[in-house]
Amino acid sequence: MKSIRKIDAIPKLNGSWKFLDDYSYKGMIHGQLLYSTCHHGIIKQIHFPDGYDLSEFTMVSAADIPGENIVPEPVCDQPYMADKEVFHFGQVIMGIAHPNRKLLREFISNTSIEYEELPAITDIKECLDNEKNAFGRELTIDHRTGKKPDPNWVHHHKIYYTPHQEQAYLEPQGMIAVWQPKDKIMFVRATCQCPFFVKEGVEAIMGDTIKEAVIETSEGIGGAFGGKEDFPNLLAGITSLLSYKSGKPVKIVLDRSDDIQITTKRHPARIEIETWTDPKTKKIMKIDIDYRLDAGAYQTLSPVVLARGVLHAISGYSIPDAFIRGRLFHSNTPSNGAFRGFGAPQAFAAMEAHIDNIASDLKMNPYKFRKINLFKIGDEFPTTQPILEDHLSNCLERVIDKSNYSKKLKEFKEWNKTHKDKKGIGISIGYHGGGYTGNGEKVLNSEVKVVIEKDAIVKIYVSNTDMGQGAHTTLAQMFFEAIDHPREKCRIQLPNTSKTPNSGPTVASRTIYIIGNLLRKFAFKIKDELGFENLEGYVASNQNEFPREFRMNFVQDPSVVFDDENYVGVAYKDYSWAACVTEIYYHADTYQIELTKSWSVMDIGKVVNQKIATGQAEGGVLQGLAYGLCEFFYKPGYGRMHGFTDYALPTTMDLPEIDVEFIHNDSPIAKGLGEIPMDFPAPSVRNAFHNATGIFINEYPLVPERIYSYMQRATDRHRQTQTV
Amino acid sequence: MINLKFNVNGKDVEITVDDSLRLLDILRDELGLTGTKEGCGIGECGACTVIMNGEAVNSCMILAEQVQNAKVETVENLEKNEVLSKLQDAFLDNGAIQCGFCTTGMLMSSKALLDKNPTPSEEEIKTALEGNLCRCTGYVPILNSVKDAVKKYLHK
Repeated sequence: MKSIRKIDAIPKLNGSWKFLDDYSYKGMIHGQLLYSTCHHGIIKQIHFPDGYDLSEFTMVSAADIPGENIVPEPVCDQPYMADKEVFHFGQVIMGIAHPNRKLLREFISNTSIEYEELPAITDIKECLDNEKNAFGRELTIDHRTGKKPDPNWVHHHKIYYTPHQEQAYLEPQGMIAVWQPKDKIMFVRATCQCPFFVKEGVEAIMGDTIKEAVIETSEGIGGAFGGKEDFPNLLAGITSLLSYKSGKPVKIVLDRSDDIQITTKRHPARIEIETWTDPKTKKIMKIDIDYRLDAGAYQTLSPVVLARGVLHAISGYSIPDAFIRGRLFHSNTPSNGAFRGFGAPQAFAAMEAHIDNIASDLKMNPYKFRKINLFKIGDEFPTTQPILEDHLSNCLERVIDKSNYSKKLKEFKEWNKTHKDKKGIGISIGYHGGGYTGNGEKVLNSEVKVVIEKDAIVKIYVSNTDMGQGAHTTLAQMFFEAIDHPREKCRIQLPNTSKTPNSGPTVASRTIYIIGNLLRKFAFKIKDELGFENLEGYVASNQNEFPREFRMNFVQDPSVVFDDENYVGVAYKDYSWAACVTEIYYHADTYQIELTKSWSVMDIGKVVNQKIATGQAEGGVLQGLAYGLCEFFYKPGYGRMHGFTDYALPTTMDLPEIDVEFIHNDSPIAKGLGEIPMDFPAPSVRNAFHNATGIFINEYPLVPERIYSYMQRATDRHRQTQTV
Repeated sequence: MINLKFNVNGKDVEITVDDSLRLLDILRDELGLTGTKEGCGIGECGACTVIMNGEAVNSCMILAEQVQNAKVETVENLEKNEVLSKLQDAFLDNGAIQCGFCTTGMLMSSKALLDKNPTPSEEEIKTALEGNLCRCTGYVPILNSVKDAVKKYLHK
């Protein structure tokens, strides 16, 4: 649990660490994307502005693609560039490059596209309320008993909506492609999470015209949060095509407004929950969940998000009779993609609100109601996976205790009687299965490589990227701590697809959980194989054996047996667990919620690096709170957004006191950390608001405009009752 | 084109540039000072913060002619002879660096504050950093770093 200093900290502090836009190549020109400003339509004509020498520009469109015009994704349905028809605002139509970036910007902003407009779905409710918009494979988890609900059980039926959320990595998307015609290699410098995905992306679009794509990341990846999982494939493909056609290195860095308008976001969701609760025992006896995601115009990786959503939809409660149905819905907005939590934050936002709705109706303390229904050892997930630990319950007990929840509940009730402003306190829980779902990790078959040099320097080769989460520091730490090797003699290499083996993408809280634990095992294995006590001593006295390369693959635990067709079995070997309490102050005059304090208690297993883990948790919690409070796209289809002016990210002034604690950190296994802090906080804000005002809001986020309209409705209802 | 004379990190610079360039472009593209980052280009994120004539400014919002005769300080000026400044040290100790893209701007906003007010209150620190967005840390370790730096300055 040592807080080893991050290996990239000093160069990041003195400004020498290179991010994508800090790289330059001889003869490099600049590229930009020309994209649709129509939500759905046929492209009639593209009008370039007068006064420019078109021969100075390199332009690529669908017709120039030598390979496939389909981005490789879990579902291959999205073109790199639209051919004749555009299906969403922000769909790329052309890539254009010019030596002068400023002139290129002017040229593109003065280019107009003529469309024959077609009907489009851009509103979240219009998309998700209409069954006709469902597309792709439906997922169901069927754990029904077949019995009818007891007529005495209390029935609750509610619909919850969650919004788009922008990843808002501070470094915009960017890519540099350098065509090397002699070797027929397309070299790509990328700010991305998954270099091997980008490689596939470039090789798909370039087809036989290249021998190989080689992807190396920039030193710095300025945040990603899922946003640099799949969009870079498309961007790298078009940048490569421009480099191929122009014969020059091409750099594309998206302007913030372009980035916000055309890249993937968190999927909006509509989650309909029906429950039947026994009023005597206060146990939820039956649940039926209809979980819908707005995938956008194409499915791309949405099935993965849907899978995560249905597998976390029930939150942390044992319900003997459960049915969960998950579907994707089509809209004319950019494909939604990966974002920290991917499907789980939507699930908890709905179910944790629903739990408070039931508790309120039964006039129960939300904590006590949760406690009665919470997972216990020996219970099962709806997939029949057994619950093997009570750590979720431990998290809840701890957070209730340290936040003084019960005392504050009473205090606030009293205070609220005499004040126009209100105080409130709310609970939420969450969990996240580590790594790929079900058989995913078996299929990935991740490999890691270690080279031990003659001077006992250990070089670690993995394809997982450090996008700020400190992965490279923590991964190295897991290796050198296992064999007690000096940290300065242990180095992680910059991911490069021709040098690093494919240890899988940097997603799904799998980097430390899968690759870190693998490296730890690997260190022990090398120690056993060579039979040393001290690696430096061994290398010194056996110089002829070095440099030496070692490789090892991940082997999935045999307990993970999952039926992907029927969603039965063990979906994840290990879960991270969490519980949260958030306190708010509601300003009645401005309809604003002020977050005052938020406590989170998480079980992420072994905490490898306390400082890094705490930083991840605090940042994730704020993203989660903001998802509940203020982050949303106020325009349907979110076209014509300008960036951080109209998308409200929390600043230092919005920051509540954030308290995070890890429990069960004596575990031998480091579990997933990336997603869990984002999964659970949003509903605690909503539940605190309900506690403060008695108003139920089943849509996120709780922005003043929404609160105002709910308050008006509540006042109208009150007036009507009085008139009657 | 415009001929500019100004001072960057203690060095006098004379340079002829396109007059539509922003200070950010001059620093990054003309002077190779890439420690200053562009996150949004419209003065919303603070990643491009530098100190100009004693004030923290978004260098994406400063046009070339405004730089005439100015005194500009960038992140590259903080570390001297491979020794980090107290402020950088505090960021290091508090684990305030994650992706690092906001870090240099955060440092410059914090330095501008501490140069003027060596003993700011928590509210003053929050206000000074209000224009610097960070998506990774949740601001907690950054605010703690500035508070720590205040202590370090007081005990120097």
